[in-house]
Amino acid sequence: MRKHMSMLLVLVAILALIAPPLFSQGAADKKASEGATVIELWYGAAVTEAGPPPEDWVGFQIIKDKLNIDLRITALPSSEGDQDVKIQAAAAANNLPDLFMVRRDVLARLVPQGLIASVDDLYAKMPIRTANHYDEVSRRNAVFNGKSYGLSDPGAIIKNEGLLIRKDWLDNLGLTVPKTTDELFAVMRAFTFNDPDRNGKNDTWGYGSFEEVGNYEAWPGRRLQPIFGAFDADGTWDMTTSNAGLSVFKDGFYDAMTYLKRMVDEGVIDPNWLSYKKDDFRAAWKQGRFGIMREQNAAFAAESNYAPFDQNFPNGEWIVIDPPKGPKGHASIGPYTANFRVYAISAKAEKAGKKDKIAELLEWMASDEGYFLLGWGVEGVNYTFDANGIPVADGVPNPEYSFTGAKGQVVTQLRNMVFYNGDVELYARYPTYTTAVSKKQMSALDVMREMQTKDWTPSVGSDTLPTPNADLKRFYEQSLSEFITGKRVLNRANWNAWLDEFKKLGGQAWNDAGVAFAKENNLLN
Amino acid sequence: MVKKRQTSAIIVATKSDKLFDLLVNLFLLFMLIVITIPLWSTITLSFRPNAYIGSNLQGMFLAPWKWSTAAYKALLGNAGFISAFKNSFKILIGGVATSLFLTIPLAYVLSIQSLPGRRYLTILIIVPYVFNVGLIPTYLLVTKLGLIDKIMAVFLPGAISTYNTLIMRSFFEGIPNELKESARIDGASEIRILLMVILPLSKAIIMTIGLFYGVGFWNDFFHAMLYLNSNKLQPLPILLRNILMASGMNEFVEVHAFGDAPIAAIKAASVFMSAIPMIIAYPFIQKYFTKGTLLGSVKG
Repeated sequence: MRKHMSMLLVLVAILALIAPPLFSQGAADKKASEGATVIELWYGAAVTEAGPPPEDWVGFQIIKDKLNIDLRITALPSSEGDQDVKIQAAAAANNLPDLFMVRRDVLARLVPQGLIASVDDLYAKMPIRTANHYDEVSRRNAVFNGKSYGLSDPGAIIKNEGLLIRKDWLDNLGLTVPKTTDELFAVMRAFTFNDPDRNGKNDTWGYGSFEEVGNYEAWPGRRLQPIFGAFDADGTWDMTTSNAGLSVFKDGFYDAMTYLKRMVDEGVIDPNWLSYKKDDFRAAWKQGRFGIMREQNAAFAAESNYAPFDQNFPNGEWIVIDPPKGPKGHASIGPYTANFRVYAISAKAEKAGKKDKIAELLEWMASDEGYFLLGWGVEGVNYTFDANGIPVADGVPNPEYSFTGAKGQVVTQLRNMVFYNGDVELYARYPTYTTAVSKKQMSALDVMREMQTKDWTPSVGSDTLPTPNADLKRFYEQSLSEFITGKRVLNRANWNAWLDEFKKLGGQAWNDAGVAFAKENNLLN
Repeated sequence: MVKKRQTSAIIVATKSDKLFDLLVNLFLLFMLIVITIPLWSTITLSFRPNAYIGSNLQGMFLAPWKWSTAAYKALLGNAGFISAFKNSFKILIGGVATSLFLTIPLAYVLSIQSLPGRRYLTILIIVPYVFNVGLIPTYLLVTKLGLIDKIMAVFLPGAISTYNTLIMRSFFEGIPNELKESARIDGASEIRILLMVILPLSKAIIMTIGLFYGVGFWNDFFHAMLYLNSNKLQPLPILLRNILMASGMNEFVEVHAFGDAPIAAIKAASVFMSAIPMIIAYPFIQKYFTKGTLLGSVKG
């Protein structure tokens, strides 16, 4: 034993002694290429779990040869919270990279510290990129004290969700698509109690939902916005000049709450809606639990997402419908904002004279060469063009290396820096396909286009308005859910008393701060 | 006779003893079930075929009646996963070795009763433990030391745990002083006493503290996220987090980075595989584990 122990100790000592030189190796050891400008980029990965482009990625060489830039890239952490921590820690050490993706909230804190360079002069230096990526709204997005400190590239596609209904259930019950909230309620009742799937079991509900709450879609969240939209109370904020403020203060909000309470009391909403997470909700509609929902186009219609539903219900059919009209004729799928991915340039990089080189790099990315290379990879290796000039994964020698293949996705990790939701991207992203079991023609793009034709509430900038502190947010969400679940009695007197309490606890201050911010930033419609 | 009566009085359990034992066993059974269900659920999910994910479980909770190893094949065939696994091992080995190398002498020094200023030295160590300096000063220090984007940055700032040092110190204090005295009389230096007398008697505490450090380094996400920029240095917790965050990914693309394997199964398989090294290590170290912590916790 003593011998073993001695060996163990020797091993520990040796390992500890060799640890510093062994584990101090890292990417930082890279020497700058002779004469090339080193640009350090922290990017938001397109497919977070896929890994970075390989070190011998052809893009690095092209960028070096054509632009004389030695590009060094780092994928930011996959969650926004972690991204914020990493960026803020680096900022505290004045160690920000030259170019980096950053949330607007964090940017707003870095700008006053003098850590960020203004980008106003860059738009003119990037004519192609500016034309495709930056409009008036996006340029305004990162303006602080009259100067723009971030390049706001187009983010996720807007208005890409819709209200869907099981058409096969409507047909089974001899019903038509509901157009008003009253008709919607009647259909929800029928879906719940009249065995719409004809399986002889009482196992279906009218509406399916889960709590998906965000800055501009406060409780009960995104999935129930079509209900609240019918009462002109969708979204956290009313962004109209005449009625700016928190939606919860509007009369329509109380009416929407009453409607939702009826849905719960009569059992026409899937009772698990308060406990479902996103994945549970999606598993539930694929299992045929409910017949009306608000869902995202690709989460519904992309091949891999639709496949389980297709297998479970080959005769099942969802259709996109108009949001129901409320008693006063209002209708909306919900609020929409403009989504941006903000890239900022550090003041350190500006001081080092790298700003023009960064503009050169970004402009090259927006050129055809950069666009296709970063978006899809190398033609003939990662993609081919179809007859319409759309990059497709078919026809590449090794399908694993196609841009949709497991090994090919790494070369498209920077695609969020070049995509601007143009037609080429959308056709490539959402190809038309035939479902495996029911042999239906499906296209997530067609679904999206249809969803975008429906009524939405413009709410650009509402996601940048001040947020409540954690206690007030908890009070808000908990109280509202208590009204719905019956822990608080929902009547006008109780509602008004709760509103007074909410205002006193900080609701009024939150409202006033939001309205002031919206006015100051010219966000009201 | 008296002795026999006393013995039987101890052995024969009363009704309340039996009831207590029953309750304890029921509680342990309950805890076992509570712990097993999510673990089992994760394992079965990792083996479930694509067509059955997002659909009715169809009796697949207890055991999948259709098995698929696609998720494991995809993970093991993924270069990023293998690289992350290797990096995690580097952090584990380097971290544990460095930590033990630094903690053992520190704990030993603090255990020497006659050390001048021992009390102040202990306070000096405990104060930063209680009043943590925080993220930014640590980040600045790591930056100044030139450790950003180096694997060492993950384990060096936390190489010495005050908590582990104090446990080890208590253990060393429990070793009879006579052993050290006799070694000193024989002319042994303090280093020799530590190496030849103390450590051979301290296998339990070394294993235990090594395990504490090991689990910490193996699971460390935060420091790697903060200090490592180069993607090739990313350890397993970072990749795992990325995979787990890929929940909404299918909203936007038709496929994911693991080919045809279902992403839910990939998530489950990656969680399970990342736990395997610790699951293997625990049974071997368990016998030292209990002994080591108990001995370290009671002085004298």
